[in-house]
Amino acid sequence: MVAVTVSQVTKRFGATEVLKGIDIQVPDGHFAVLVGPSGCGKSTLLRCLAGLEEVTSGSLTFGERDVTSLQPRDRDVAMVFQSYALYPHLSVRENLAFGLKLRKTDAATIKARVDEVAEMLGLGPLLGRLPKALSGGQRQRVAMGRAIVRRPALFLFDEPLSNLDAALRAQVRVDIRKLHDQLGATSVYVTHDQVEAMTLADVMFVLNGGVVEQSGRPLEVYEAPASRFVAGFLGSPAMNFIAATTVAEPGGEGLRARLGDGSVTIALPPRDGLGAGRSVDVGVRPHDLELCAQGEGDIELTVDFVELLGPEIHAHGVLAGTKVVACIETSAGAGIGIGAVIPLKIRRLHLFDRESGRTLR
Amino acid sequence: MGKRGIIDGRENEEPTARVPGPAYARIASLLVGAATLLSAAPASADEDAPIQLWHAYRGAEEDALAAIVARHEATGGAPVELLALPYDAFGSKLGASIPLGEGPDLYIDSHERLGDYRVREIVAPVGDAFEGEEGFRDNALAAVTLDGEIWGVPLSQKCVALYVNQGLLREVPATLEGIAALQPGLPEGVFALAYEAQGAYAHAALLGAFGGSMLGPEDSFGFVGEPAIRSLDLVQSLIDRGAVPNDADGALVTDLFRAGKAATAISGPWLAADLGETDVDYRVVQLPKVEAAGGEPMRPMLTVEAVMLSPHGAQKPEVRALAKLLASREAAEIRQATAHTLTARSDVPLPEGDAFLRAFADQAEVAIPMPSSPAMRATWEPANRAIKAFLRGELDAAAATEGARKRFDDVRRPPPPPASPTPLIIVVGLMLLYMAFGMVRAARSGDLGPALRRSLPAYRYVAHAVIAIGLLVLVPLIIGAATSLWAGRPETGHYVGLANFVDILTARGGPLLATGSFYLVLLVTLLWTLSNVVLHLALGVSLGLILARPTMKLRGIYRVLLIIPWAVPNYVTALAWKGMFHRQFGAVTGLIEGLNRAFGLSMEPIAWFSKFSTAFTANLATNVWLGFPFMMVITLGALTAVPGDVLEAAEVDGATRWQRLWKVTLPIIRPTMLPAVVLGAIWTFNMFNVVFLVSGGEPDGTTDILVSEAYRWAFTREAQYGYAAAYAVLIFLMLFSVTRLGEWRAKVKADREAAAVAEAVAASGGAH
Amino acid sequence: MSGHGDGKDAGRQVSWIESAASHFVVVLAVAFALYPVLWVIALAFSGTSTPEARVLPIPREPTFDHLWAVVSTTREVGESTQWLFGRQLANSLIVSISTALVGIGIAIPAAYALARFDFVGKERGLRVLLATQMFPAVAAAIPLYLMLDALGLLNSRTGLVLCYATTAVPFAIFQLRAAFESIPVDLEEAAMVDGATRLQAFVKVVLPAARPAIAVTALFAFMSAYNEFILAATLLGKEDMFTLPVVLQRFIGEYDAQWEAFAAGALIVSLPVMVLFYVLQRNLVAGLTAGGVKG
Repeated sequence: MVAVTVSQVTKRFGATEVLKGIDIQVPDGHFAVLVGPSGCGKSTLLRCLAGLEEVTSGSLTFGERDVTSLQPRDRDVAMVFQSYALYPHLSVRENLAFGLKLRKTDAATIKARVDEVAEMLGLGPLLGRLPKALSGGQRQRVAMGRAIVRRPALFLFDEPLSNLDAALRAQVRVDIRKLHDQLGATSVYVTHDQVEAMTLADVMFVLNGGVVEQSGRPLEVYEAPASRFVAGFLGSPAMNFIAATTVAEPGGEGLRARLGDGSVTIALPPRDGLGAGRSVDVGVRPHDLELCAQGEGDIELTVDFVELLGPEIHAHGVLAGTKVVACIETSAGAGIGIGAVIPLKIRRLHLFDRESGRTLR
Repeated sequence: MGKRGIIDGRENEEPTARVPGPAYARIASLLVGAATLLSAAPASADEDAPIQLWHAYRGAEEDALAAIVARHEATGGAPVELLALPYDAFGSKLGASIPLGEGPDLYIDSHERLGDYRVREIVAPVGDAFEGEEGFRDNALAAVTLDGEIWGVPLSQKCVALYVNQGLLREVPATLEGIAALQPGLPEGVFALAYEAQGAYAHAALLGAFGGSMLGPEDSFGFVGEPAIRSLDLVQSLIDRGAVPNDADGALVTDLFRAGKAATAISGPWLAADLGETDVDYRVVQLPKVEAAGGEPMRPMLTVEAVMLSPHGAQKPEVRALAKLLASREAAEIRQATAHTLTARSDVPLPEGDAFLRAFADQAEVAIPMPSSPAMRATWEPANRAIKAFLRGELDAAAATEGARKRFDDVRRPPPPPASPTPLIIVVGLMLLYMAFGMVRAARSGDLGPALRRSLPAYRYVAHAVIAIGLLVLVPLIIGAATSLWAGRPETGHYVGLANFVDILTARGGPLLATGSFYLVLLVTLLWTLSNVVLHLALGVSLGLILARPTMKLRGIYRVLLIIPWAVPNYVTALAWKGMFHRQFGAVTGLIEGLNRAFGLSMEPIAWFSKFSTAFTANLATNVWLGFPFMMVITLGALTAVPGDVLEAAEVDGATRWQRLWKVTLPIIRPTMLPAVVLGAIWTFNMFNVVFLVSGGEPDGTTDILVSEAYRWAFTREAQYGYAAAYAVLIFLMLFSVTRLGEWRAKVKADREAAAVAEAVAASGGAH
Repeated sequence: MSGHGDGKDAGRQVSWIESAASHFVVVLAVAFALYPVLWVIALAFSGTSTPEARVLPIPREPTFDHLWAVVSTTREVGESTQWLFGRQLANSLIVSISTALVGIGIAIPAAYALARFDFVGKERGLRVLLATQMFPAVAAAIPLYLMLDALGLLNSRTGLVLCYATTAVPFAIFQLRAAFESIPVDLEEAAMVDGATRLQAFVKVVLPAARPAIAVTALFAFMSAYNEFILAATLLGKEDMFTLPVVLQRFIGEYDAQWEAFAAGALIVSLPVMVLFYVLQRNLVAGLTAGGVKG
C-alpha cells in the first residue's frame, strides 16, 4: 500500500518518443485509471511502473522508495495482463502459488493464501485444471487471483477486460472495484474503454500522444474536459463538435457563435478573454440537447435517422452542415420520425480553441 | 580376409553400390589423407602393451588366425590383441590411425594396396620378419616386392577358377567357346556359364587370355586396343547366345550356381564357403582356354594376402617375430587345414587328393599378380563403365574403351602447376583490412559502444554457442573450403590458386555437356531437386489436407503409419529400395511377374539401372518416400493456422471447394510452408545417400548429382580432395546466392506492397 | 484442415463417395509408406536365402534365427564373456542421448537470446548459421578429424558426440529460436513481476512452455546421431566401442551381403527411433510448425 509518484518520465524506443515527460500522483489506496486511445503510451507507462521497461529519464517512486532502476521482482507489484499470461504448463493452483514459491514462502502459508483467494474468486473447483481447460472468464479470474494472492503494495492492470464479452465485462468491472475496496491496495489500471475508466477510477489520467492531457476525478474530467480531445474521448455517444466563428451579439454585450456553414447562430455564455472573430469549436454532448416546445429551442434539427434504444432515442441530423446526435427520453420524443424538424435547447456547451484544442473557460 | 580381400580393386570401381560399405569406406578414406597431412612424429608406444594385430578375416579364416596366435602366446610369445574390422573400412582406418602413431603394429591385407600404403607411409619393409625366399611361391613373392624390397610377408593367394556343376556337366570342354556351345543342350533356364560379365575384375581374366591387362606399361590405361576390343566382342557373343547372363553380380552368380541354374561359374574360393553344405555336386578346375585368343588360357588376377608392418611396429623385434611366425610353415599348415586356403608357401604340400586346392594352386600359377601401383585403383571405374556401356549396346568396343582411357587420363592428369600464393595473400589481407576498417569506423561513430553494452546480457546466453559453432563448424568449414585451392594427392599437394575451379567450370577442356561435366551434372541436380520438391509437396500437402479433415475416420492411425518412412534410418531404406528395384528378385519385378500371371501379359522385367530415365525414377521414388512425411507434418501444422471462419466466409461468398482450396487455404498456409520448402530443397540438392546407394550414378554416372560427383573425386578418383572441395564450394555458392536472391526478391516485393499500401492510404486520405 | 474442423463443417454430411475416395488415396499412400518396411521385416524373418522376385512381403519359412544371431553376439574378455551386442546398443544410446543433450544444451540459451534479445551481430550470426547448412558436410570432415585427433578424442564416444553436435546444434538453434518466438513474451513478464529473475522466468516458464518443440528438436538430434555411421566407422577402432550402425555395416560387404542379418539388424536399430516417433508424434506437428523451420 503505497502512493505512486511518476515524475518527468520519458521513454524512447529508438527515435520514437513514446512518453514525453509524464507526471502522475496516485495517493495511497486509490484506484487510478490510465485511459487513452491506442498508441497513447498508457501501456508503456504501466510497463515502466512494473519494471518491464526501463524509463529513459525521470523517476518512479512507490511510497518512500525510488524504484526507477529496480527489477520487477523487487518492486512488490502484481500485474494482470491483457492476455492473462497464465503459465500453460501449470495448474490453476500452481499458477496461483508461483509467485509465492519464488519468494520462498512456506508451503502452509501458500496453501492457506491460495485457498483464501480461490474462495474469494470462486476458483475452488478449478484449482486442479490447466489453463487451456478454462473459459475466458475463468482465466481472467485466475489472472486476478494470481495477482491478489501475492498481496502486493501495488496492483497493475493492463486492459484485463478486453478479451471478455460485453456482459461479462460489465460484471467483472464491478467485481474488480469491489475487490479493490476490500483489499485497499493502490491500483493502476490501463484501458482504452472510457466506461471502464469512468466507473472504476478514483482518479483518472487521460493520455494522448505520450502526455497526460488531463487528470482528476472521473466526473470532474467528464464535466470539465480540459481539451477537445478529452471531451471527445469521454462520453457515449461522443460529444458533437461544430466548427464556429464568434460574432458579436448584434446590439448587445455578449457573443454569438456562427455555426458551420453559417446558417445557424447560437448565443454563447461569456468566457474570459474571448472576443469576436475567433475560430472555435462548439462542443455539445448529445445528452445536453433537450427537446423543447416549438419556438423555445436554441436550434432546430432536421432528423434524418432515428435509433431507438429503449429508455431513450438517438436522433441524428445535420446542423449547419455538420452531423449532430441528440439523446432524447423516449417518453418525450415518441413520434419523432425521419424528416421531423425538432426544436432543441442546449443545456450546456463547451468551447474549444480551434488551433490548440484547449478548452476556453 | 575372404573374397573381398582378393578383389580390392573393386572397391574403386564405378560403384554399383549394392551396399553402403564402400561408400562409407571412401568417405572415411578422405580422413586418411588429412591425417597424413598433419601427421607429426609417431607417439611413443607403451612398452608393455600387447601387440596390436588387425585383420578382416571372418569365419574359418578368423578361427585359423586365432589358433595360430594362441599357439604363439602359449609358446612364450608376446601377448597379442586381435581386432577384426570390416574390410570396407580397413584401409581407411589404417590410414587414419598409423600416421598418428596409433593403430596396429601389424596387419593382414591384400598386396595390391602396398603401393598406395607405401606412398602414404603406413607400411614399412618387413626386414628380418622375412625368413628367406626358398619357402615361398614366386608369384607371391613378386607380388610383395616393390623396388627390390619385401614390404609384406605372404600368407595366402587368391584368384578365381572355374566351378563345375557335375550334375549338369560330366565333361568340361577345354575352351570357353566349347562351354558356350553346350547351351542348346542345357535345360530351360540354365546358363552354361555364370560370371560377373559386367565387372572389370572378372573380365580381366579374359583380357589376360588376349594378352592384355587393365594397367598398361608405365601406369597407362591398359584396357584399350586389340585385346580389349576382341575380349569384349567375345563376351557379347557369349551373351547373345544366351550362354552367359548379362547382368549378374556376385550374389547372383552364387545363387544361380547354388540353385543349379548354372552349369559352370567363374568365382573364387569364397564361392565354396558361401555354398557351404549344398546339394550341388561340384568340382573346381582351371579356367578354360580361349579359342578366339589362339587357345591361350584365361589369366585371372592374383591377390596375395600378406602380413604388413606399420612403421612403428616394424621397429619392435617381437612384432617382426610374430609376423615371421604368421607366415611360417607351421602356421600355413594350420591355415590350410582349418580354413582350406591356398597358402603362399611352396614347402607346404597340398593335402593328398584335394582337387579343390590343387585346382586353385594350378590356377594361381598362370594368374597375373595384380599390379600394386596406386594407378591400378584408377582403372576400375572407367573399365567398368566401358564394359557396361558396351554391353548395353550404347557404344562399340573401340569407342567404349577409348572413352575409358580418356576418363582414366582425366583422373590421372597431373595436377595444375603450383601457383603463386601472393594473390591469395593480398585478397585475404585486403578483406581483413576492410573488416578492421569497418570495425574502427563503427567504433568511432559512437553507436557501437552503447549498442555493445546493451548486447551484453544476450552475449552471456550465446557465448558458448558461438564458441562451439566457431570451433566445431566454422573453422573446419573454412579450412575445408580453403582446400579447394590445393591440388594433387594429400601427401604431395600444392597450392594452385583457382585452377581447380577453372578446370571444373571449363568441363576439363571437354564439351560443356559431356557426361560428367559440371554443367550436365548441374542440370541433373536441378531436375532432381525440382522433381523431388514438387512430388514431396504434392504428396505431402494432399495427404495433409485429407488427414486434417475432421470427418476423416482413423486419421490418427493413418498419420502414425504415414510418418514411418521418416523414422527409419535413411541408409536402411535406401538399401531396401535398391533391393526392391533389383532386376532378378526385386519386388517391382515380382509385381510385373504377378501382373503377367494374372492377366496373361508378357511384360519384361525392367533393368532399372541401365537407363537414365528408369534409374532416375528409382532414385526419385526412394527420395519421395523418404521426404513426403516431413511435408505432410508441416502441412498439418500450417493448416491449424487457417481460421475456419475465413473458409466459411469464402463459402458464403460462393467459392466452390476447389476455389476455397486454391484461393484461400493454400495462400494462407504458403508463408508457413515456405521455409520448410526451402530447407527441403537444400537438403535434396545435397542428398547424397539416396543417389549413391540406390542408383550409384548408374548408368554411366548420368544420375549423379553434384554432391555425389564431388564425393567421387574425393574418394574414388585418386583422392583429389582439392578438386572435390572446389565442387563443395561451388555448391555452397550456388545455394547461397539462390537463397539470397530469393530473400532479396521477397524484400523488393514486400517494399513494393508497402509502397502501394502507403499510396492507397494517401490517396484515400486525400479523398476525405 | 483442423481449421475447417473447428467450424460447423463437422456437423455436415460427407458423401460416401468422397469419404471412400479419401480413404482410398490414404490407403494407397500408407501402402507406399509401409511396403519397403515390410519388405525389410519379411527379409529379417525369412528362413530361406534364395532370392526370388515376389510381390508380397511375407517371410518364407519364418524364423527368429537372424534376430537371435544379431542380438546374441558375445566376445571373450579375459576370463569372462561379454555381451557384445548389449555393449554396442549401450554405446549407441549413450552417444545419441549425449548428442541430443549437448545439442539442446548449447542451442537452448543461444536460441533464447536470438528470439528475445536484440544484440550487435545477431543478424549476421543468423546468416552465417544458415550458410553453414548449405555447405556439403564432407568439406568439413577432414579438419574436424584433425582437431579431434589433437584433442585425443579419436577413438572415443566423446569425439563422436562432438562430431554429431556440429550438425545437431545449428539445426536445433533454428528450430528452438522459432519455438521461443512463438511463446508470448507476457509469460516471462508475468513471471518477472511475480518475482522471478530473467533466468528463473526462462527456466521455470519458457522452457516448460516450449517442451513440445524441445522434445522434437531433441528427437532430431538423437536420430541424426543414432543413424550415422560414416564417422563412427572411422573414429572407432574397438569392437566394444562400435555403435549399432557400424555393426550393421559388417553384415553387408559388396560380395557377401548377409541380407537377412542386415535386415534383422536394421529392424533392431530402427525400433527405438520408431518408438520415439510414436511417442512424440503429436508434438511433431505442433513442435515443427510452432517451432517451425522458420529460418
